[in-house]
Amino acid sequence: MKKRIYSFMRKGCISGLLLALLSMQLSYAQQTITGQITDDTGEGIPGANVLIQGTSNGTVADVDGNYRISASPTDALVFSFVGYVTQTVEVGNQTLINVAMNPDIQSLEEVVVVGYGTRKKSDLTGAVARVSPETYENQPIARVEEALQGRASGVTVARANGAPGAAVKVRIRGVNSITGNNDPLVVIDGILGGDLSTLNPNDIQSMDILKDASATAIYGVRGSNGVIIITTKKGSGEGKINVDYFAVISEVPRLLPTLAESVGDFARIENIRRVNTGGNPIFSDAEISALEADGGTNYQDEILQTGLSHNLAVSASGSEGKINYFISGNYRDEEGIVINTGYEQLSLRSNIGTEIGERVSINLNLYGSRSKTQNNFQTFGNGQGSLMYKANTWDPTTPIFDENGEFNLRSTRGIASLNDNPVRTLTESDFQDVNERLNTALNINYKFSDHFSYTLVAGTQFNNITQQRYAVEVGDDFLPHTSFFNNKFNTLQLSNILTWEQDFGIHNIKVTGVQEFQNNTFQRNAYNSNDLSLPKGFYFAELAPNAGQTISNDFNERRLSSYMLRAEYVLNNNLLVTATGRYDGSSVFRPGNKWGFFPSLAVAYSLDDWVTNLPGFTSLKIRAGWGQVGNQAVDPFSTFATLRFNNYAFDGSSASAGTVLNSFENQDLTWETTSQVNIGIDVGFLEGRGNLSLDGYQKTTTDLLLNVPVLEVNGGGTITQNVGEVENFGIDLGLDYIVIEQEKLDWTSNFTLSFLQNEVTNLFGEEEVINGLFTAPGGQARVLNIIEEGEPLGQFNGATFLGTWKLSEAAEAANFGRQPGDAKYLRDEDGEIVFGAIGNGTPTLLWGFNNTVNFGNWDFNVFLQGVHGFDVYNIMQAGITGGAGDSRSFMASDQVNQWTPENETDIPATVQFFNSSRYIEDGGFIRLSNMTLGYTFNNLGGKEGSSVKVYVGGQNLFLITDYSGYDPELTSRRGNQGNEDVASGINVGAYPNPRTYTLGVKVRF
Amino acid sequence: MKAIYFYRLFNGLLVAVMAIAFQGCELDEDPGSSQLAVIPYETIAELELGVNGIYGQLRQASWMTTFYVNGWSGDDMTTHRASNKADFREYDQRFITPENSRSFNNWGAVYEMVRAANTVLANIEGIQLSDQAAQDRLIGETHFLRGLMFYHLTRIHGEIALPLSIVPDPEISLASQIQVYEQIESDMLMAEALLPVSSNLGASRPNKGSARAILARLYLDWAGFPVKDNSMYTEAASSAKQVIDNAAGHGFGLVDDMGSLYTLEGRFNTESLFTIAYCNDCGLANRKHGKLGLPADYGGWQETFAEIRFFEDFPEGPRKEATYHEAVPVDANGNATSDVANATNFVPWTEFKDQQNPIFRKIVGPFEDNTWPDFQSSRNDYYMRYAELLLIYAEASGRSGNVTGDGWEALNQVRRRAAGLPPTVPDASVDVTSGDIAELAFAEKKWELAGEYLRWYDLVRMERVEDALGGDARDPRVSIGTVFDENGNATPVPLTEPSNPILGSLGPDNYFAPIPAQEIERNPNLGRPAN
Repeated sequence: MKKRIYSFMRKGCISGLLLALLSMQLSYAQQTITGQITDDTGEGIPGANVLIQGTSNGTVADVDGNYRISASPTDALVFSFVGYVTQTVEVGNQTLINVAMNPDIQSLEEVVVVGYGTRKKSDLTGAVARVSPETYENQPIARVEEALQGRASGVTVARANGAPGAAVKVRIRGVNSITGNNDPLVVIDGILGGDLSTLNPNDIQSMDILKDASATAIYGVRGSNGVIIITTKKGSGEGKINVDYFAVISEVPRLLPTLAESVGDFARIENIRRVNTGGNPIFSDAEISALEADGGTNYQDEILQTGLSHNLAVSASGSEGKINYFISGNYRDEEGIVINTGYEQLSLRSNIGTEIGERVSINLNLYGSRSKTQNNFQTFGNGQGSLMYKANTWDPTTPIFDENGEFNLRSTRGIASLNDNPVRTLTESDFQDVNERLNTALNINYKFSDHFSYTLVAGTQFNNITQQRYAVEVGDDFLPHTSFFNNKFNTLQLSNILTWEQDFGIHNIKVTGVQEFQNNTFQRNAYNSNDLSLPKGFYFAELAPNAGQTISNDFNERRLSSYMLRAEYVLNNNLLVTATGRYDGSSVFRPGNKWGFFPSLAVAYSLDDWVTNLPGFTSLKIRAGWGQVGNQAVDPFSTFATLRFNNYAFDGSSASAGTVLNSFENQDLTWETTSQVNIGIDVGFLEGRGNLSLDGYQKTTTDLLLNVPVLEVNGGGTITQNVGEVENFGIDLGLDYIVIEQEKLDWTSNFTLSFLQNEVTNLFGEEEVINGLFTAPGGQARVLNIIEEGEPLGQFNGATFLGTWKLSEAAEAANFGRQPGDAKYLRDEDGEIVFGAIGNGTPTLLWGFNNTVNFGNWDFNVFLQGVHGFDVYNIMQAGITGGAGDSRSFMASDQVNQWTPENETDIPATVQFFNSSRYIEDGGFIRLSNMTLGYTFNNLGGKEGSSVKVYVGGQNLFLITDYSGYDPELTSRRGNQGNEDVASGINVGAYPNPRTYTLGVKVRF
Repeated sequence: MKAIYFYRLFNGLLVAVMAIAFQGCELDEDPGSSQLAVIPYETIAELELGVNGIYGQLRQASWMTTFYVNGWSGDDMTTHRASNKADFREYDQRFITPENSRSFNNWGAVYEMVRAANTVLANIEGIQLSDQAAQDRLIGETHFLRGLMFYHLTRIHGEIALPLSIVPDPEISLASQIQVYEQIESDMLMAEALLPVSSNLGASRPNKGSARAILARLYLDWAGFPVKDNSMYTEAASSAKQVIDNAAGHGFGLVDDMGSLYTLEGRFNTESLFTIAYCNDCGLANRKHGKLGLPADYGGWQETFAEIRFFEDFPEGPRKEATYHEAVPVDANGNATSDVANATNFVPWTEFKDQQNPIFRKIVGPFEDNTWPDFQSSRNDYYMRYAELLLIYAEASGRSGNVTGDGWEALNQVRRRAAGLPPTVPDASVDVTSGDIAELAFAEKKWELAGEYLRWYDLVRMERVEDALGGDARDPRVSIGTVFDENGNATPVPLTEPSNPILGSLGPDNYFAPIPAQEIERNPNLGRPAN
């Protein structure tokens, strides 16, 4: 460790920082005044300012709101804090001055974290949305992404699938990058590159989402996908303990209809299919009767279950003297709705802060978590679709067990899915993916004066992801395989921040300067050990033959060196101007292309004075901003041509390593740049009961880091180049309204709406289409997704389905080698089936509608959410329909109405394409995301401030959609199927999204 | 106390000295810590890694039937008439679309290997390593493999592109057929010059004889369609003769029992002139045998079936037994079994419930070998067999008008082995010494190489596609199939048609498969004939 730090110091442009401080002041005839500054409820206000009027002398209240200052009897003290009305008190002969501050309702004095500092919400110039715990504390939240969903306009949150612990996709204002990653930058307590999925939501004080480039430009090359700034809690005042517990019952909302439900029809249709293809029936009448009597086996039902989950969160917080603390722990145990799947997480946090003397404050936040995903669905299989896909297409005439009680490994008749019995795979496999994190964030603040301060932010993130897998789904040798991956990600960050702020009459100027260095290293050690001679489990990997064992290793490092300067100017509390510039140097590009400059400018003008003359209005502000941000979304060493390893066995029994070219050199590679213009308006109305925020933006991303396909003739693969352009245009609307505000009854509504239009405006050269990397399971050659110039990302590729060839068209069909009853597809003038874009999976409209009603001790929350304007490529249904690939037998319920000469329906009776418009469905949906009802018992046992809340609720209680699958939000991309935003809306058997019922209790004392 | 003067560290005059010393920011990357880069070789070990890499790509290209998809064009093999075998059917029916994914994948895999070879040649250019013999051998292998891949591809597509550099040429054009042949010839001559006389059993590393044998095959093609340079028959004959004369030195010769070639045990043998080796346990499996040749009745993949008519016409004898299974041994439950000796029943192919076609033993392997339940195995590919070389010699000597006793002997060795006799011992019962040796050898090759994905190329070079596939040439004549009703009752029905009818042209306009459409979309030059 020591060595690493030395090496970090040596390599990194760490600033050796030497502070020599001298300070002295001569005071005359002073008296010491003490007191407490409290809010309207009597709680101390930590950090409140005390200033001797007309001077720059002042102090800041400690964590309990207590202050101490020297002043002469003729002085007046000015007490101020953001969000409160400033008060002035004459000193006279008083030595104890307690002040109760009144909230400043009119100026919406919420403080928003804008990165390397804070700002009053009323002084914001950029597009920043805040999600505070009040908006989600009335519903059971197990992870942070759930709190973001539907609560901030311009933010898209989509579950990849319903598996416990599964990835959730978060996007801010659409997607820019075709090859790179579109994840927003997460900053937790000043440390860049945090992880949302493992964070304890109960630890969060606030989440601020920087959406436009004028706000994100301070993060330069990492700002192009938007920034989520998370501030964790600090303790203050009397010690408090919170205990939250909830239990969740989850189940699949509905089963997909298949012929597994009517196994007799399945067998009859299978017989017909065989005869149609020149074969013979395989089910006799007697066998069909027996199957109908027995009912067959519905593998979908067999792998699903009702899951029971628990979530316990405990925290203790408060302050003693100058020391404040917030300590919390969280345990999640989530059982999946698919057998033998689940997620478990334990996390601990300790946020401790103190003040040393009057000038120095130190905070150290430590967070450790360990999570384990059991049998991660996405990592099973061999390109033949997920286990859900296999279960939905598995032979319903083969029982789970044979007559000896052993698993039937494959369909006993070789029909339907050609894959392994999914019940066996899930029962006997053991995939444990363990994610261990230790995050530290040290924040040292030194005030040179009231106007000038220095902050050091130093942080580390140690993240080990260990995957140990014992796979009983391995193909025809039926021998178990094991694999082990250890991935270590280490991040070190050091930021030096200088802040200077001063008022000059009606002018207020604030300047922030940052010097920052970050270093990321990645190490991977892995082995595969295949064909174990005994099925005993992971720890018997030694049972593999030597030849079945392979190893792999990797290491890379990324360094980023940065300087940032921000100037904020306020004129007369009306005109607000922010200008920023960041200069970033990245190790992943070659000299000459390393350094990039990312500027921004934003202006806002408050029309409060004017608008308050209008009836009903309380505030009005207009904002405009422009900025440029970057994306360095290439892996280290991407500018080099490197070799990879392969193997060959000359003697047929032992492998020798070989090397082949893996990538093409491109020394000219540099940043992707996104320029964004934002225009916004904030309106307050009805005495501050309503607030509306409306933003329109236009983003252009140029010099895309695009993997340009290389001709197969030249060896194939791709070369990463800076070519192409993507545009996003959108409107974000946020509306908060207190519908009813009475003593015993209040009703608060929040509505967010995001409209989004994405377009690939340019690819490269003459190229108009690039193939994606997503292929359908089982021998279906063509890719499912394409990137098309002039269209949004997420285009679906396929043939246009025109129903069936009819008897009357027999002659025409014969020209194409088809006959009546075969699937008919659109053809071009040469008679070739036309493949091209047939749908798009990128939503254009998202909204969330959150309502909280408090009535006495009762509270009620309803949260509705909608996503519209996108299609789903339902390849799961294509697989169920069957007739192709590795699920040849027809299994769709509507196949009973398949084409016959007597009844010429549009359901083909023979082989069909999976990638056709037959499986494009409208994905639009409205979901009842949450509904909870709670009752709170206050002051239990006479203890002031204590409470017990009991609540019941349900999530995903209903879904309004035309989509025929489980849930249109889910997709099922595997790791090697390319960028998830280029493959959105494709479903190849995603883990179903459960419907859940919750019972919880929250105790405060 | 008011009068007390005191100093406080509080909000007053302040002097801060802040020295921020920036060291030079080290932001340059060094991939060498975990990656190998493209740089001139300094050691034999690096060269060896690069050459092994070409072989690794060769296996990657060849491990599935995709590599041999054009083999389905021949009259010896067919595939399932439905199922997910559309790409194979397109070849079987000579109706190959430019989007055929097997064509495309094979095209890409072959060129990936060419790039691997070009990488080696680029990194060794002008370099003299310490071990001259090893360097020669490895560079010889590199040229052999590159020439072999150009040849493999040109037999499918005719005119192809000839990239010889690792710098991508996005506008590369097709080379003419003669240019392609000349490049293959040049690579093979270079290989022959550099390779050792002998290598290992089975020649998974080629030797001089391997390179010359490929040249013999090349010259025979060159003499036929489309270039039709008749002078090349002489070259083909002399090249084949050269290898035959030095067979002992190269370690080449016919094995006595032809059936042993298509087993795990016999996978390294003297008969293969160049072997693509596989190792299932190493994760380097061959996925072309076993259940790929079986019908669904026995868990098969229904991919590689034998044509009925070809089977009917096939001369009886040990060679036919080594080529086909006429029935599947089953146990009391009706499941296929490896315990052939105790099989309860043998189900003839004419009674399969799935598609009724004979099964290739060459594909499925002997049932006793127990590779039939798997789709992956360690069985090897014989890129070219000594038997083919003997027949090339016999045919080319005939067509070049220089028939010799050695030519007849070459033909007769194959005939004797086919009859289960020792190949090198003359036997009047099978030997022929008169007649049209070229045509006798051509016919002999048909039977000898059945199911080895090679028949089509003989039909093309002699322009006999229409003869072999047209009209009723593929219609079964004598086989009686079975129709089962819903209760499993069997009714015999004569089989009269091939499983997959011909849909495309059988003329020379359709002898070559189209260049993959995806590739032409990216580079239209590849859609234009060579100048």
